[in-house]
Amino acid sequence: MINDDVLNAIARVRVEPTYVAYSALANLAETAGEQGFEPYRIAVLRNFTIEPLIPVIKGEAVRLGLAPDVYIADFDAIAESVLNSSSQLYKHKPDIILLAQWAETVSPLLMAKFLTISKEQVEKEVTRIVDTMESWLRAIRSNCGAPVLVNNFPLPNIVTLGILDYQSESHQLHTVLMLNNALLKMSKNFSDVYWVDILSLFARVGYATAVDERNWQAARAPISKHALLPLGLEYAKFIRALRGKTRKCLVLDCDNTLWGGVVGEDGLDGIKLGNTHPGSSFVAFQQECLNLYNRGVILALCSKNNEADVFEVFQKHPGSVLKEHHFTAWQINWDDKATNLTRIAEKLNIGIDSLVFVDDSAFECDWVRKQLPQVEVVNLTKEIHHYRKELMLSGYFDSLTFSSEDKKRSQMYVSDNQRKQLLKTASSFEDYLNGLGLQAEIGRPDKSDVPRVSQLTQKTNQFNVTTRRYTEGEIERFMASDDAEVYFLKLSDRVSDLGLIGVAIVQYKYGVADVDSLMMSCRALGRGAEETLMSLIYKRAKHRGCKKLVGTYLKSKKNALVADFYSKHDFKLVEESPEGTKWEHSIESQMVKDYPKWIAVKETDVY
Amino acid sequence: MKAKRMNFTEVKLKKVLADVFKIEVTSVNEDTSVDTVERWDSLNHLNLILALESEFDVSFSEEQSVEIMNYPLIKMVLLEHGVKFQ
Repeated sequence: MINDDVLNAIARVRVEPTYVAYSALANLAETAGEQGFEPYRIAVLRNFTIEPLIPVIKGEAVRLGLAPDVYIADFDAIAESVLNSSSQLYKHKPDIILLAQWAETVSPLLMAKFLTISKEQVEKEVTRIVDTMESWLRAIRSNCGAPVLVNNFPLPNIVTLGILDYQSESHQLHTVLMLNNALLKMSKNFSDVYWVDILSLFARVGYATAVDERNWQAARAPISKHALLPLGLEYAKFIRALRGKTRKCLVLDCDNTLWGGVVGEDGLDGIKLGNTHPGSSFVAFQQECLNLYNRGVILALCSKNNEADVFEVFQKHPGSVLKEHHFTAWQINWDDKATNLTRIAEKLNIGIDSLVFVDDSAFECDWVRKQLPQVEVVNLTKEIHHYRKELMLSGYFDSLTFSSEDKKRSQMYVSDNQRKQLLKTASSFEDYLNGLGLQAEIGRPDKSDVPRVSQLTQKTNQFNVTTRRYTEGEIERFMASDDAEVYFLKLSDRVSDLGLIGVAIVQYKYGVADVDSLMMSCRALGRGAEETLMSLIYKRAKHRGCKKLVGTYLKSKKNALVADFYSKHDFKLVEESPEGTKWEHSIESQMVKDYPKWIAVKETDVY
Repeated sequence: MKAKRMNFTEVKLKKVLADVFKIEVTSVNEDTSVDTVERWDSLNHLNLILALESEFDVSFSEEQSVEIMNYPLIKMVLLEHGVKFQ
């Protein structure tokens, strides 16, 4: 049972995201750990006083369902921490490393003393900084596989040459930009290094207010009260993406959210939506929703309206950027919105905690927050020109990969509706499956598949036997290892191409094939793809001369669906614990189910 | 109405200290200071300054940020910035 204090503190930051509210939540991190929140170990290396930022990062981690345990290395002790393999940094066994650097500490020469050095010295200094950073990243990578968050440098607030500075490429502003670019380029040689873009973030916050000169001079703490929340939350966005907590579906209200006015009363011609003010703000907001659709976010509608009135807007209104085909699910009726959101999640076969709900009504938002605390709610303000910003600010949909599957995903859900139509006309289920024209490609992924494979481990919650999350770097290490193999499954039918939707990772040791991970995107279930992947595992284990297949089921809040997966595949239960179950299958005696008859299976690089 | 308002600002201030230092709101009083609160060290003092400045929408001078080491002094400095307690 989760402690009310923790839930209340989470509810508080949702409604009132202030520094104080985050501080209160951060102080409950340990309590959250005792309540069964996932442990999450954060190590911070820094050359400035980053402490004021920590409550925001910790608080947001708790909000994401994690119990953060933060180790902060001594001031400006990055080299000692990363180069010594028995340092506190590595002893902390971090799940993530924050390597936070401040330009004034990294290089006084390039900042306040810029005018005292020559062009050659500038170049030497840039090379020195890049080389140092490279040696640190190399040291980290040889000691641990945790993702590393580094940051670029904001532009100096005071440029030493004044208006002359911008006039030459060798002056200060360009030097800082060049340094940022050189660091970015160098970092591409390392896996799982991600950039926190402080340069852009400070531009959004405002350079004049982002730095606290008083605290910088007094305590080397440069982040001002205006930048604390945005920057802390920016770090947390990476944690969300890396822990597979990225939201999948945007559920939109209609009246006064997607257009101005009430369509049922004002009529198609009366609503505000078009090139002129105030309709232009709604067009801009719709465009932002469409951008999310193109990023692979599923769009849905939840509106108290007549369905016909709403769809008339998408079909006929010339100002509507969003069209009927962009929406995969909708509940347009007079029922309460919490019930309707639950229906939408069920229809899409995704968790309630994959939804983001957007509405202009404080009443509706409040109701949903209370009834469904797992849903993230964006309550749009009265200021319609802020709608776009309010939707995008939170980064709920931010991810660290962007694969071709993402671009196609929203369309796939739409064709799922067509598939269900097909089911209605088929006489039996097997008949239906035969009629689908299913084609599967199975095999070992190559380098271009790695982002998608990693993404599936991060995002799949329901059909996932162990829910182990892996970064791209970790997937590559499995692929390179002699003792492990990674398999993928791609599925298509005559309605659409679902792309890469199944992944399995198997470890081979002492004649035993141990299934480390096995997962499948929920939209592909029930068509035999699960059996196909299992058969492949069996065939590979046999080919490698294994005597035994071992499967593990680790219980999570969401994967009850696969609790009996191994039993369905004739595995024997050998161990049961509160964490889950262990199963075995002897390879000599029985055969796991073969590929289903209705799927045309193509094996790529299997043997 | 006036009495209610005094309460509100006072409670808000006590809550800032409680949330930053992880102590009970009811335990915050005129004697609360850097000497009586375990977590009130130099780093958390920095967090306190930023929390007060965010919550009351004020900016302390360098001198003020150093001197607010107990509850009465915080109140006094906030008063100087026009925050009303009476």
